[in-house]
Amino acid sequence: MSVQTKRTDTGTAAAPGVRKTDVPPPGGPTGPGPAGRRGGASAPYLLLLPGLLATVVLLGWPLVKNGILSFQNLNPRQLILHLTEWRGFDNYTDVLGSTDFWKVVQRTVVFTAVNVVLIMVLGTLMGLLLARLGKRMRLLLLLGLVLAWAMPVVAATTVYQWLFAQRFGVVNWLLAKAGWSSMADYNWFGTQLSTFSVIILVIVWQSIPFVAINLYAATTTIPKELYEAASLDGAGTWKSFTSVTFPFLRPFLWATTFLEVIWVFKAFPQIFAINMGGPDRLTETLPIYAFVEGPGNQHYGMGAAISFLTILILLGLTAYYLRTVLKQEEDEL
Amino acid sequence: MKRSLMARLWPNATAVVLFAVFAFPVYWMFATSLKPTGDIISDDPVFVPTDITFEHFRKVLDADHFWTLVGNSLTVTVLAVVASLVIALLASFALARMRFRGRRGFILTFMIAQMAPWEVMIIAIYMIVRDADLLNSLVPLTFFYMIMVLPFTVLTLRGYVAAVPKELEESAMVDGCTRRQAFVKIIFPLLAPGLMATSLFGFITAWNEFPLVLILNKDAEKQTLPLWLSSFQTTFGDDWGATMAASSLFAVPILLLFVFLQRKAVSGLTAGAVKG
Amino acid sequence: MNRKLIAAVGVAGMLMSVAACGGDDDNGGEKTGADGYKGQTLTVWAMDGSTPPGWTKDLTAAFEKKTKAKLKFETQQWTGIQQKITTSLSEDNPPDVIEVGNTQTPAYAATGGLADLSDLKSEIGADWTEALNESAVYDGKQYAAPWYFANRVVVYNKKVWADAGIKDTPKTRAEFFDALKAIDKKTDAEPIYLPGQNWYFFDGLTIGQGADLVKKEGDKYVSNLADPKVGKAMETYKEFQSYSKAPKDKDEATPQQAEVFAKGNVGAFIGMGWEAGTAIAANKKIEKDIGYFTIPGETAEKPEGVFLGGSNFAVAAGSKKQELAKEFLKLALSDKFEGALAKENGVIPNKESLQTNLKGNGAAEAAAPAAAGGGTTPLIPEWAAVENDPNPIKAYMTAVLKGKSPAAAAKQVEGEINKRLAQSS
Repeated sequence: MSVQTKRTDTGTAAAPGVRKTDVPPPGGPTGPGPAGRRGGASAPYLLLLPGLLATVVLLGWPLVKNGILSFQNLNPRQLILHLTEWRGFDNYTDVLGSTDFWKVVQRTVVFTAVNVVLIMVLGTLMGLLLARLGKRMRLLLLLGLVLAWAMPVVAATTVYQWLFAQRFGVVNWLLAKAGWSSMADYNWFGTQLSTFSVIILVIVWQSIPFVAINLYAATTTIPKELYEAASLDGAGTWKSFTSVTFPFLRPFLWATTFLEVIWVFKAFPQIFAINMGGPDRLTETLPIYAFVEGPGNQHYGMGAAISFLTILILLGLTAYYLRTVLKQEEDEL
Repeated sequence: MKRSLMARLWPNATAVVLFAVFAFPVYWMFATSLKPTGDIISDDPVFVPTDITFEHFRKVLDADHFWTLVGNSLTVTVLAVVASLVIALLASFALARMRFRGRRGFILTFMIAQMAPWEVMIIAIYMIVRDADLLNSLVPLTFFYMIMVLPFTVLTLRGYVAAVPKELEESAMVDGCTRRQAFVKIIFPLLAPGLMATSLFGFITAWNEFPLVLILNKDAEKQTLPLWLSSFQTTFGDDWGATMAASSLFAVPILLLFVFLQRKAVSGLTAGAVKG
Repeated sequence: MNRKLIAAVGVAGMLMSVAACGGDDDNGGEKTGADGYKGQTLTVWAMDGSTPPGWTKDLTAAFEKKTKAKLKFETQQWTGIQQKITTSLSEDNPPDVIEVGNTQTPAYAATGGLADLSDLKSEIGADWTEALNESAVYDGKQYAAPWYFANRVVVYNKKVWADAGIKDTPKTRAEFFDALKAIDKKTDAEPIYLPGQNWYFFDGLTIGQGADLVKKEGDKYVSNLADPKVGKAMETYKEFQSYSKAPKDKDEATPQQAEVFAKGNVGAFIGMGWEAGTAIAANKKIEKDIGYFTIPGETAEKPEGVFLGGSNFAVAAGSKKQELAKEFLKLALSDKFEGALAKENGVIPNKESLQTNLKGNGAAEAAAPAAAGGGTTPLIPEWAAVENDPNPIKAYMTAVLKGKSPAAAAKQVEGEINKRLAQSS
């Protein structure tokens, strides 16, 4: 009960701070009694107003427009002449009826899973490594991570294309020098698997720093006493990891996994710039597929339909997390 | 004894290898941009450019309107990031510290907003902007880049705000600070790392954006740097020297910003991230 | 309550001013001049590389002198160019004149976004080369004006050929293969650099075979890749490719073939004349070794078929400066400037009488003899979609080069091609 009260107070404290007024807030227009201690019932809505307004106008409107377009036959002719031709649900039935679409969905899910697992596992390991290193080595590794993290995606993708270029690419040269002579002229963008390997490498390379650096920073906030207590109980390295470190980091790992799922699922420039979804459209994930079918082939109505389905699928993939978070929110306040 | 030496050695060795793995592509970009074309297209890679040339940089800097594009990119990015920070700060206070009806709905809205597939919505956005007669202007770009980063900024800042102990604020006021002073002197500095961390994310996103500006702003003087960067990869083939030089120039502002903000940002990012 | 409101308004106000900073003036220049075209600006979109500096400068000066209007060339990059053109044609202020690839002209003509230039054709187009004008006509109407064209030649390294003991450039395909064989045997150079997806070279081979890539089935176009004539062209391609170490699933742009050639260890490549410039930029020393010859055909009399790449000028239907745009076309396509462009860029002009401007340009002189027997991709609006990345014909080529029979490879991609051809417009 006391916790409950305290949290309510938190609300009071923050509101005036934002409103930048030194006069104690008057009672809210609604809610007499306990509400009188709160910073006015409309305060949170006013604070949220700009954000919501922006979201509704700048995201909601395009989404609605996109939804409308998804029921239209919108090709260059219709776009140029400002014609509106309705197609009913035909765009959707066309997409849902095509085997390509379902293959792409499957591929996207697997692609996302592989990337996220790699990013989270390797990122966590590197974060723990950072915590173990001496100061100088840590700085060195941090520098490397920050360089990779800060590379603009477009630039990073271009560099990887260059690293893996069939002729004069440094990776093939290295592999050949290492005695793998069949790799001397290997074409990385010739098969689905090898193209995906490069794409995954780019994405993982750029995503690990976020996880590793934050995880390292998080470990520094773990109270030392917890470890001392654990070692008093006779816990070894592994045991103290599972009993102290991991439980402490769990919320962080959870939240990061959610972010990575979204980011990887939506990854666009990496895949598109590397090989434009090729060879033979075999590395198209949903966003690429939607882009190629829509803006790429100039069938904008179709593209709009696919993008809507894309959102639904992403929502499905993250539904579990969203529900957990919402439940948490309920418990907290 | 031997074992402890090993135990000390392997993390360091791993760290060096990992450093190489992470830094090499960045190094290779800079190195390639400084090599004469003959050394770039070479059967044995030239790892350390000895014969340094600035010809590629000259070429990419010579592009039409280069400095206009730099100005546009900076304007759009900075404004979008600042606007999203201000808006998000307000929203995150409400979401982190207040209790009100619909709160969970708002959080859910921002979480879902994070998932928007912008690349495929460009034609809808294009039609809206066209019909509003705002093509070839930096205003819609700024607004849309702002909304692209807003949800993440709100959700992350919410974590930071929640992590600031409210007792600090109270004790400041006990010491005679006004609420405004308490905010400026106590809370804001504590939020600074969070603001930096989120602004880095926003900066990268807006700085990189390509598909939208491609169709919204066809006027060469209203474009941004990603279009310039892509112009060196053409149907006629990739001019690796020029592409790498352009990539280097494109990456430098972000790299600098990171190195500059990173230390503070990271310590704060945890606070936010741990809270989720 | 008031205070809260003020706070909220303050925030909104700040955002407004932020937005205002980002704002800028509209694109002006659309006033209708009372007398002459004074005060107007004509915007012309040209692709990167189409407008050489000397030509652009002289033309701009002449245009501004003649019309008193301003001329603004806007150089366009290739990335996303289709979306850019389509969307811009839908705008109130489209670019007035647009360079459109000849093969894409029918597709844009069908959208209704291009102005009818039939009267211009009767005014200045009487002696336009018939084959070059084909792509500009759609549905019996003239939707564009032919501007310039180019076709591929063999660019070869004289030194490598001399090392292999070859004296004359080949006149027939068989002689060409013999030469490549000799280079393979007697030197350690790569006889020819030919990646698996140089699809316009392949298109030329199909034109040489008299093959069509599409056929009409009912009122629809479908893939004709399974035609044995196409297969024969592909076999020829495969034979050429067997002399190359180049990747089977890349086109000539990655890596840029001219840069590979510039290393000096490649006997030849099939490319555009200007690619020699790319090679020279990469390696100055290669300049003196570069030579050109027409791609030889089955017999010495008839050169190999070539794809005639090129560009037309089109006027946006939505342009409010139709007359001014036509003034521009009359000037830009006049003998003086059309000839100057041919000379400066080494491209084939829209009239045969202007080909004299190519004298002294080795590459253009090698290209010209093949132009008469050249062709394009199918001139139907639906075709543009087929060439969108990922281009299924490129996939077909790679499949054959990797060992599939042409018939089987055709079968593999036909579904995709037919799907693209069937897309409603």
